[in-house]
Amino acid sequence: MAELNGAKAAIVGVGVTKQGRSLGIPERELRREALDLALADAGLRRSDIDGYIACHGGVAFEDLRYLGLGPLFSWSLASGGATAISALIVARGVLALGQARHVALCYGFAPSLFQSRAGTGAGLGGFGYGYPELYGMVGPATSHALHAQRHMHLYGTTSEQLGAVAVTQRAYAAKRPGTLGWGKPIALDDHQRSRMICEPLRLLDCCRDTDGGVCVIVTTAERARDLRGRPVRVLGTGTGHNIRNWYDKSVYAHHDDIAPAKARAFGEAGIGLDGVDVAALYDPFTISVIMQLEEYGFCAPGEGGPFVAAGETGPSGRIPTNTGGGQLSGYYATGFTALVEGTLQLRGEAGATQVEGAEVVLVSGHGGNGGVQNTWAHATALLGKGS
Amino acid sequence: MSARVRHPLDFAPDDLDRAFWEGCRRHEFLLQRSSRTGRYHWPAVCDPETGREGMEWVRASGRGVVHTFSIIHQAFRKELADRVPYNVVVVELEEGPFFHSNVVDCPNEAIYIGMPVEVVFDDVSEEVTLPRFRRREAAAR
Repeated sequence: MAELNGAKAAIVGVGVTKQGRSLGIPERELRREALDLALADAGLRRSDIDGYIACHGGVAFEDLRYLGLGPLFSWSLASGGATAISALIVARGVLALGQARHVALCYGFAPSLFQSRAGTGAGLGGFGYGYPELYGMVGPATSHALHAQRHMHLYGTTSEQLGAVAVTQRAYAAKRPGTLGWGKPIALDDHQRSRMICEPLRLLDCCRDTDGGVCVIVTTAERARDLRGRPVRVLGTGTGHNIRNWYDKSVYAHHDDIAPAKARAFGEAGIGLDGVDVAALYDPFTISVIMQLEEYGFCAPGEGGPFVAAGETGPSGRIPTNTGGGQLSGYYATGFTALVEGTLQLRGEAGATQVEGAEVVLVSGHGGNGGVQNTWAHATALLGKGS
Repeated sequence: MSARVRHPLDFAPDDLDRAFWEGCRRHEFLLQRSSRTGRYHWPAVCDPETGREGMEWVRASGRGVVHTFSIIHQAFRKELADRVPYNVVVVELEEGPFFHSNVVDCPNEAIYIGMPVEVVFDDVSEEVTLPRFRRREAAAR
């Protein structure tokens, strides 16, 4: 890739609509608002967008006329919570091959509308799970609970340590306007008293789904220098797929197939873990943070619980993590929650939870719930400050 | 529970796993095995090393141990409201694969990781038999 034109990609525009419960805004309108915000942020016009990737799991065709876009291609990409980074990888390739100059990654989702249509109100629990559903296994909380229970068995991880993830991230969100947790810090006792959902996960171990739109515009590093915004460089990306762990029965020993994603991303970036200043990890459930901290190597296997409980993911810890509250306390824009927070940190726009001197952010995404596994796809991105 | 018992193939619209569920109707616990590698699989796959060639359904022991589990307190569907709290377990079968199921005839509080279990067949309707698992003595292999 290195010799191809424009292999170095940069994020030059970010648009984030209001994120919250039951906004009552249609999904394509969320995408339009996000696109307009991202264009204004980047200083680009609609006609500059010559590549479009729909990241909401739906088909891309109908979006274009509603958004007023006339790109060279319009693709749908659906890999659950790994979609945002996966689309970033596609954009890198497109830019490197010279197939487009400005690629818009667009997400807009309104689960509240979906729920009222379906009449279930089941929210995140609404997804079926293949044959395990016959046994009452419904929704991602259950599948993540299976990982959490195993982790507790292997390493002695406690509910209080899971709670430390929730408390730490809520403390970040409490300082960030626009998040679900803004102005509403919680204590460990709140977590411990929250009702049990599926053992060992309590209510405050689980994120809420939210309505909202996000658009991220990616271009070449060279082009980024001509634009008015503060570009964020894409230093490296990688992917892994959990079916490999299913085949070899290590699936409950890991959260996802992180090892190859990590190796690829860090290899491309040419840095080690000590070069990472902030982590933005995909976090639908507290256990996801603990296991990813271990898998990425911020602490040893089994040490994730004590690591978080000791404050190492807090503002003055070894690796400030999910500094916008993450999905648990911020908002649930699938993989865009982490991608946006990583970008804001590197632009110095993370408000009261800005990490001083942040130069490199690790962003992760995982998703594709369903069947026998908590999640199928994992994707890693390393983002760097400046062009 | 809802009035209609859903059929296992409702969840897997192709025929890959059909032999397994038909075996359950006969109270036989089958697994898919590659005659080339000797590896057992569930759900059915194309063997990642040797492909479709030589895949066969064979009788399996129906024994295993609880690898992990959860007690579900939230009724994620209305029809589950009268079942909560109930357990979901992942059984590590003796032949290797994992199988998601329920443990029956055992209080939820008594379920633990490493608990030896064996299959029991639950004829839930005219068309559907579900394998569930009950505790067994470890020495009863």
